Amino acid sequence: MDEKTRREIEGKILPKYRTRRSACMASMQLVQRQKGYLTKEDMEEIARLLDMEPVEVEAVGKFYTMYNVERPVGRYHIQVCENLSCSLMGGEHILKHIERLLGIKTGQTTGDKRFTLSVVQCLGSCGTAPVIQVNDDYYENLTDKKVEEILERLK
Amino acid sequence: MTTGLVTLKINGREVTVREGTLILDAAKEAGFDIPTFCYQANLSGLGSCRMCLVEIEGQRKLQPSCITPVMPDMNVFTETDTVKMTRSAMLEFLLSNHPLDCPVCDKGGECELQDLVYKHGPRKGRFAEDKVRHHDKDYILSPVIVKNANRCVQCMRCVRVCKEVVGRGVLGAVGRGVHQEETSFLRTRLDCDHCGMCIEVCPVGSFMRLPYRYRARPWDLVSARSVCGYCATGCRLTLERRGDTVVRAIANPEDGFNRKLLCARGRFGYDVMNSEERIKTPLVKERDGSFRPVSWDRALELMKEAILRAGPERAAGVASATLTNEELYLFQKFMRKVVGTANMDSTSRWSAESSLKFMEAAGIRGGGTSVYQCAESDVVVVLGGQLSEENPVTDYILRYINGARRNTLVIASPRGMKLDSSAQLSVRTVPATTGAFIAALLKALVEKKEVSMEGMEAVKGLTVEELSGVCGVNADDIRWIAARLLTAGSVGVLAGTDMLRYDDGAEELALLVRLLENTVRDVRVLPLLDRANQRGAWDMGVHPYLEPGYRPAQRRGHDVHGIVELADSGGLGFLYLLGEDVLGLYPDRAGVERALSRVGFLVVQDSFMTGSAPMANLVLPMAMYGEKHGTMTNQEGRVQRMEAVRRPEGEVRTPLETIGRAGNLIEKDFPVVRPGDVWKEIQKQVPGYGEVRGMEAFKGASADQVAELKPSFSYAVPERAEGEFWLLTGNHLFHGARLSQHSGILRELLGGCVVEIGSTAAQRLGVGEGDMVEVEARGYRERLPVRIREGTPDGVAFMPENFDGKDANRFFDKDRVVSTVRIRPYKKQGE
Repeated sequence: MDEKTRREIEGKILPKYRTRRSACMASMQLVQRQKGYLTKEDMEEIARLLDMEPVEVEAVGKFYTMYNVERPVGRYHIQVCENLSCSLMGGEHILKHIERLLGIKTGQTTGDKRFTLSVVQCLGSCGTAPVIQVNDDYYENLTDKKVEEILERLK
Repeated sequence: MTTGLVTLKINGREVTVREGTLILDAAKEAGFDIPTFCYQANLSGLGSCRMCLVEIEGQRKLQPSCITPVMPDMNVFTETDTVKMTRSAMLEFLLSNHPLDCPVCDKGGECELQDLVYKHGPRKGRFAEDKVRHHDKDYILSPVIVKNANRCVQCMRCVRVCKEVVGRGVLGAVGRGVHQEETSFLRTRLDCDHCGMCIEVCPVGSFMRLPYRYRARPWDLVSARSVCGYCATGCRLTLERRGDTVVRAIANPEDGFNRKLLCARGRFGYDVMNSEERIKTPLVKERDGSFRPVSWDRALELMKEAILRAGPERAAGVASATLTNEELYLFQKFMRKVVGTANMDSTSRWSAESSLKFMEAAGIRGGGTSVYQCAESDVVVVLGGQLSEENPVTDYILRYINGARRNTLVIASPRGMKLDSSAQLSVRTVPATTGAFIAALLKALVEKKEVSMEGMEAVKGLTVEELSGVCGVNADDIRWIAARLLTAGSVGVLAGTDMLRYDDGAEELALLVRLLENTVRDVRVLPLLDRANQRGAWDMGVHPYLEPGYRPAQRRGHDVHGIVELADSGGLGFLYLLGEDVLGLYPDRAGVERALSRVGFLVVQDSFMTGSAPMANLVLPMAMYGEKHGTMTNQEGRVQRMEAVRRPEGEVRTPLETIGRAGNLIEKDFPVVRPGDVWKEIQKQVPGYGEVRGMEAFKGASADQVAELKPSFSYAVPERAEGEFWLLTGNHLFHGARLSQHSGILRELLGGCVVEIGSTAAQRLGVGEGDMVEVEARGYRERLPVRIREGTPDGVAFMPENFDGKDANRFFDKDRVVSTVRIRPYKKQGE
């Protein structure tokens, strides 16, 4: 965690909460944004800043799937929804297609550290299924062609 | 708190309970047991395991009885078909992932899951899917804790007990759903109190004792109810042996005031009994200084000769305040009746005068004060000492009660402690200024409320600011505490051993208690003592000025200071050190070493070769807790009976037998006795003990006043040169007195002696946790690793008094109020 992030937690995140530990999730999100995942040292530092025990930070991180605890991810983290609506609308096919295009399996990262592919549960956008999330952005109503374009743009 | 009563029906049976009672507890009162996993008395309610579901008339769904309070006219059913079917179903879910490796699990035979499945469970499971496996091999979390997450039933007792009771919170529930694992941060080794509370509360074999691993099955064990010998909290524990080896100490939730609570020392310090280092036969010193084994007959003959040679004026004895009441009673009787002297003490660390004042102020001679009653007061004040380390289980009790009741906890002590995090206000006093602090409090109290009381006239002349300058506590904080005290309905005061060590604050405390009794009325005072039977030792009259039951002695003897001085002047022909290591603990090691070398005949009876033992002319082996019957009186005044789990090995004898035989050898009518005989005599002779019955009871009061307490109200900050540290000593969390250093398990928890300083001091010195520093004073130097204690101010250092070879008492000057040391970083050559 760099000095700037630490200052941002102290100055911007903490004042929003009445108790320090309440800032845990927001702080983790901020730290994760830097390299896409949280290290042991990051969690220890967050715990220290927020008067928590490191294991509490880890427990929060491992409860929510959007935190990557000690799991390095590529520059683009592709999360494919495989919940009911997306599956019915071809989500599983989309997943296979991405695997084929990137040459990796679910849970893996490409050799150039550009893409990590994960499967997630409902992204809450069933009306526009199938859906994937790349970092913070949603891509909806996907077809094979759309997926190819998206990946091409990110390469 | 609510005081109303509620009447409801459980399975048709009417029961009346206090408002706010949980259905689970009400059912127990009505005679119905409801199975549970996640429920644990003293922990916050969770209601997650669903084992305790019950039917309530008018409610469509079953309700968890462990978090549902009773309501008037409720109609609860705990044994209907629906409830039974649900219990069975919940167990089937738990078993769907439980590995069923009972044959290799340490918990087998005393497992709550086994028991409940046997009683309520399905006979067959329907889950065909693979079980969740967190790991293949069990992993080690600490030198005493080993973990198997696969067996976990996710009741979260371990996580809650660690946070709410122990105050560490180093365990968490990591992951979600069936993948949740209760473990340490990234499964790394724990740096915690190693108390093993997580093991004790675990219903299954998920947290296990590493030293007990694969050692025994519960049905192989022979057990006995004992009392922990490591501090005066006096926890009840059950010692268990397989063959002749003691393999486990457990807290039985059904037995003893401490329920499931034990600290690292109590739970893991039992292995001192099995130590190979124990003294096994009587040893007599040869001319060349070496020791030769002798028979008991010969040893006692030598002892008799020495006593007769010395004569009453030139004889003395010091007995450890960790012995039983029976042993201590017989010791003083032997000294007074057979040897003919009142030169005796039960400590190496403070004067008889100081103990008299403390007894009077802390209500020692009175009847008992329950720790729970004290902890449940509206305002609880901890004065001096290091409660969290010296009396760990008292710390647990204060923490969980404070967490549940949110009463006001105030701490005033020289060092930071774990309990600080629970306190509404924690202030740091300059060492040995508790008196000034209390005086400031008294003044702040009379500022707020006019009190006309004898002894308070002098207080009017004081100013809070001036006293605040002596004790180092902010005047506003003092006034804040005073305001809290005046609005409280009840006040609990816990008085630590600092008052004894520094002969400081007892007079003021007595005045404060009297004042509060006039204003608040409900005041409970609990002494915090570090030796397991210190209160018993005083009750039994192991004191130069007091006979059993606090009767003033007709002829006063010398206390430990007087005894050492007498020895130093060559005036001591016979000295009997019974379980007490004067050389290791007396605050002036060089002086006491010279004094002991001048004693005509020194007898040391102990379990291990203590610091003093090599100087003895005669060394006698001694049985320890677990090897003898008797009673102990803890700091609350609770008298508890303890049983032997095994016989002492070989030639090891109890002090009772030794003293009885030695006495009988000199005076024919001094009887060789058994504990039961002495107990009967204690009941007759010691006021307050006559009514004590059974395994556990509070003693009664004895009426005599032992000291006139008149505060002088003159104070000074103890001397300290710029850059120096005031040196404090006492017990470490993992070590008590000089015994625990012989426990292999406890030695693993703390590698050896350390020196503890605050974080500001560490920064100033440029050292971090574990770095080596050199402690230096009075011509002695010791290199020790640093431990950083949050909350300890710069200028205060602590060194435990528990280690042979790293003796803290070298640095102490008995003529100074608080000794000082210099501490500097130690760099190896070439660095």
